[in-house]
Amino acid sequence: MLATVASATLRGVEGLPVRVEVHVSNGLPSFSIVGLPDTACREARDRARAALLSSGLSWPQRKITVNLAPSGVRKVGAGLDLAVALGVLVADEQLPSTMLEGRAFVGELGLDGAVKPVPGLVPMAMAIGLDELVVPEAAVHEAALVGRHQVRGVGHIATLLDALLGRTPWPPLPPPPAIDAPAPAGDLADVRGQPSARLAAEVAAAGGHHLLLLGPPGSGKTMLAERLVGLLPELQRPQALEATIVHSAAGLPVPGQGLIVRPPLRAPHHSASAVALVGGGSGAVRPGEISLAHHGVLFLDELGEFPSHVLELLRQPLESGDVVVARASGSYRFPARFLLVAAMNPCPCGEALRPGACRCGDGARMRYVRRLSGPLLDRFDLRVIVNRPPPGLVLGGPGEETSSVVAERVRCARERALARGVTANGELRARKLDAAAPLRCDARRLLEKGLERGQLTARGVQRLRAVALTVADLAGREPPLTADDVATALALRAEPRLVEGVGA
Amino acid sequence: MSPPLSPDDRAALLAMASIASFGPKRLQAALALGPPARTWARLVARHVPTMRRCGLDRPVPVDVDPEQIRSRHTALGVDVIVPGDPDWPAALEEDPDPPVLLLTSAPLPTGPAVAVVGTRRCTGYGRAVAARLGAELAEAGVVVVSGLAAGIDAAAQRAAYDTGTAPVVGVIGSGPDVIYPRRNERLWRDLAAGGVLVGETPAGGQPLKWRFPARNRIIAALSDIVVVVESRTAGGSMHTVDAAQERARPVMAVPGPITSPASAGTNRLLAEGCAPVCDTDDVLVALGLAAAERFRCAVQLDPADAQLLDALGWEPSTVDEVVQRSGLGLAEVSRRLAELSVRGAVRDSGGWWERVAR
Repeated sequence: MLATVASATLRGVEGLPVRVEVHVSNGLPSFSIVGLPDTACREARDRARAALLSSGLSWPQRKITVNLAPSGVRKVGAGLDLAVALGVLVADEQLPSTMLEGRAFVGELGLDGAVKPVPGLVPMAMAIGLDELVVPEAAVHEAALVGRHQVRGVGHIATLLDALLGRTPWPPLPPPPAIDAPAPAGDLADVRGQPSARLAAEVAAAGGHHLLLLGPPGSGKTMLAERLVGLLPELQRPQALEATIVHSAAGLPVPGQGLIVRPPLRAPHHSASAVALVGGGSGAVRPGEISLAHHGVLFLDELGEFPSHVLELLRQPLESGDVVVARASGSYRFPARFLLVAAMNPCPCGEALRPGACRCGDGARMRYVRRLSGPLLDRFDLRVIVNRPPPGLVLGGPGEETSSVVAERVRCARERALARGVTANGELRARKLDAAAPLRCDARRLLEKGLERGQLTARGVQRLRAVALTVADLAGREPPLTADDVATALALRAEPRLVEGVGA
Repeated sequence: MSPPLSPDDRAALLAMASIASFGPKRLQAALALGPPARTWARLVARHVPTMRRCGLDRPVPVDVDPEQIRSRHTALGVDVIVPGDPDWPAALEEDPDPPVLLLTSAPLPTGPAVAVVGTRRCTGYGRAVAARLGAELAEAGVVVVSGLAAGIDAAAQRAAYDTGTAPVVGVIGSGPDVIYPRRNERLWRDLAAGGVLVGETPAGGQPLKWRFPARNRIIAALSDIVVVVESRTAGGSMHTVDAAQERARPVMAVPGPITSPASAGTNRLLAEGCAPVCDTDDVLVALGLAAAERFRCAVQLDPADAQLLDALGWEPSTVDEVVQRSGLGLAEVSRRLAELSVRGAVRDSGGWWERVAR
């Protein structure tokens, strides 16, 4: 006899509805599963069999064929276990087929019959068009996020059967787990005596300008990057949902209250591989760190230590806001619109290239030049030198503004950007930028001098204008941009010149 | 001094000098053995006592052909001069450790000569002082001697060459056809064409480490005064200072901030009693020349700019440091620094701001 059970699998960060068809017929006892299952999926047989047997049910000693439709798409993970087990029961006529109508089932089975959570329940739930969704008890809050279904949570297959057969009512929904959004690492008030670094963080948050921090170890680069996230405004619902989907698909915990509303901070170590950073992997294609940082901050500490081929992979996502991972099984599009914050020590001796004080040899400096130069450096609109602050200011000194004060300014600046039709000034390009950021004559003169002296390129001027516009927005000034705005943007754009030319 | 050498002897000497294991000391030893052509023939024949007297522990390479080397130098337009030649500089006659030959791109100039030397890793202050000394000495008709290295050397020589008023001598450590450092290629070619390049390493000689201290002794020997603009407590410039003191050439030093590592060596020289250079006139007076008449135009500064320059001081600083010292806001400091750099009073060096000496 034939049974059909609705379920879903994960394809990248998208859910894909799957129909699990189970056919049980007379013949030598066997079990085959077709329709491009991966290894975890194929092993559903053993888990489902053991789960049914240990729940007091029987496993038919007949020929069982399972088809996962649509059969042309690769199915990954153990989320189809529950559907396979129920399909076998129906096809073996241990359960009436009407019980499964209008319901979809997602969950992994333990050998004892327990129903366990699987990654990606949010996108899977979004893909399922039926009214009722049966998911593992521990993942109810993820499935409920979508808000379209009657979500049922079950902890054991026996409980599920009791509820399906009407012997007991559906178990009440469990309280959401206490997974809170990670608290901000600290307040910006802790960053003292580094006005340009503080301003750079504020401008980066307000304008979505990528930020490069150049400074010796212990100067507070990491501290600053962590606090930058706290300056970003909370995510709106569509953005929050996108971020939540990526996190769910990657199997990361989703906050108990529902959506990820605080912009995420991802800080991969410099040993991260290309696949870990941009996504991919054999078998299940997973989103990478840049997608987990979607609508948040990607912090790359010790930028110079990342292999250059890995860094080059960031260029295209930085432009397009997403990344396409092509594999033999198909291509996967992951969202990746993030604020890139990077930190590096510009030379090995830690003097940060202070003229006359840097003790590094020409060769060592040249190696750093080569790492820094090129198109990736160009993506950083903000580059500031972060030095160890004076000791007097570390241990006391005047109080600095707190994160909440700065975040409020950032929010206002973002509202001005929204009025220009972009979420942040960093996205302004060409004609839109010209219209949004006219220059007062003193500002124009300053830029012209910079161009004449070869300090700025034409592209550099455009990026500088966008930054200057953010500076003006933060100060609450209306365009045209003044010399102060442009000069501030210039000060936040250190050109790391590592080997002094001698005009020879 | 032995009688002038025959063409064969010169070629043999050149051949010996072109072998990397022949340093100045061994060349002197070889020269003391008699006519170089005879010594060369013995070395080629692997005559062990001759090799031992020259301090060689292995035979000379078989593929070195003196004639070919000589014609290579002729083709390069390089003169080979040896002691006793009319062109041989008088300053080297009494030298404790003279070169056995010199390769020159043009006859060496006579007249007062000053070496302007210093560290390769200099500050903007050092570079500005070196350029000013180079230009003003050249304007006063003084021959500026230096080592063509990056940093102070190149700044002084470039400025001196650009005035076009006095010859500039570049003393090189590598062969005349091996441009080093590559970064100074333009300066090298300018000096080869319009100045003087001089060295003791034959064509093809690589810039080996030991050749630079050896080169420095020639810089000291060819100069009447050695001026150190910026130097760490150890380094090439200090070799030049040692060589100058050995040859009784006065050493003068440019004072710098006591907190600047690039000036640590020069400040120590001053503390040890060497004469300070606070102005080009100090050098001219030490040479016995009249102080040149010069006019300087001062930059017109408004009080806030002056306050900013005071806060910036004479050491490279970040914008943050200037903000803290001046008490001005970040935006104002940025704007004033940008304007002052347009006027040439400060310069930005990769996020570090420096005052420009004038």
